[in-house]
Amino acid sequence: MQYKPLSLLAALALASPLAQADTGKLLLTGGVSSITGTAGGGITPWAVIGSNATEGEWGASAFTTRAVTQDYALTSYGAALAWNERVELSVARQDFDAGAAVALNGIAPFGVQPGQHIRMDVLGLKLRVAGDAVLDADTWMPQIAVGLEHKRVRPGSLQSVFDFLGADTQSTDFYVSATKLVLDKGLLLNATLRSTRANQNGLLGFGAGAPGRNSRSLQPEFSVAWLLRRDLAIGVEVRFKPDNLQATGRAAGLGSALREDAWKDVFIAWAPTKNLSLTLAWADLGRVVPGITNGRRQSGAYLSAQVAF
Amino acid sequence: MKNTTALYCALLLAGASLTGVHAQTPAAGSKPTVAAPLAPADLYAALGEKAGIVRLVDDFVERLVRHPRIGSQFKDTKPAALKEGLVDQFCQLSGGPCVYEGPDMAELHADMDINKGDFNALVEALQAAMDAQGIAFAQQNRLLALLAPMHRDIITVH
Repeated sequence: MQYKPLSLLAALALASPLAQADTGKLLLTGGVSSITGTAGGGITPWAVIGSNATEGEWGASAFTTRAVTQDYALTSYGAALAWNERVELSVARQDFDAGAAVALNGIAPFGVQPGQHIRMDVLGLKLRVAGDAVLDADTWMPQIAVGLEHKRVRPGSLQSVFDFLGADTQSTDFYVSATKLVLDKGLLLNATLRSTRANQNGLLGFGAGAPGRNSRSLQPEFSVAWLLRRDLAIGVEVRFKPDNLQATGRAAGLGSALREDAWKDVFIAWAPTKNLSLTLAWADLGRVVPGITNGRRQSGAYLSAQVAF
Repeated sequence: MKNTTALYCALLLAGASLTGVHAQTPAAGSKPTVAAPLAPADLYAALGEKAGIVRLVDDFVERLVRHPRIGSQFKDTKPAALKEGLVDQFCQLSGGPCVYEGPDMAELHADMDINKGDFNALVEALQAAMDAQGIAFAQQNRLLALLAPMHRDIITVH
């Protein structure tokens, strides 16, 4: 069941019988694929509808992303299908190398396996509701989209830790995004507001047992990108996240071992052709379960490739 | 030692405020500029003034009429008339001494089937023509920002 939507959409995207040969979006104006599969920056959705398709057209994209930090690594891959620059359906699978979590066995007999990976599937739906980010250059009215990301996480032998923390294995984020290209300055601005229960994007489950936060909270996310050339953009992103687990950990005598920070990155995106874009970033993920990583901040390189039609 | 630091700070502050005053003086003295044209005049210069715009539009129109996607849209258009209209438009929009007196953009495109992909193809052709004229990317975007809102009058098929 979890596999079907992904393989179906991937097949559609890659064989792209629906995607037209002559799709008409301007270069890079569909953003790149974020780690959850939806079009945007690297770590946050934008209001743009992905692929090269514009009004009246079908488009598709597929991507893979790899990010490696001091103690963890994340691989993500997926695909998106876009129609009429209006609706975008996306799927992604994330594979999080949580090998460091074996240290949790020193806190309690959790039975965490060495080399444990956490896997998460994300099904995304985005609807553009107003505006045109690119062509309405004479107004400040942004392009606005609403979206959801339904996430299911499979923690493997870390399930016992999820149970201990009271974290659920599935939840749905809802968001609204506003994107504006200040065309005469070549500057793209995006703001996203997300309603979420996710811990570390969902890789550490959703919500937390008391006294941690189990409810939704609203988290802002921002991107600024500057077009250096038609095919080259640089930018920065910051994504605020809830800190649901920390209080749960503190109550269990773990201090701030489960503290969660905002994610940030600086990136450069290059589209050598209409059908290919490459994104290189330096990501600062803040602390990710600092109790098992000597409180180190997690930062490292992020590389993503996207094909789009 | 403390006194020296305090003195140094005072000097810095004084220097900063003097610099500030100095920087503000000309601005405060100058009169506000008359109603801004659609684009600052230097865009017209960046496009190479009238002669540069004529070269740009010549190349642009050549690209349009042989464009695989949208070339057929121009089969009933006289290239010379199209060029003349575009030169006047670009010249006026960029702050040059021209007045576009051609037909209204909405009227002109009302009977054509133009979708957003077609419009974007035209933008790409213009970008390629501006590249060929050696117009800097930042200046290209300033002209595009003045032209892009015309999509409301040009795109007829949504």
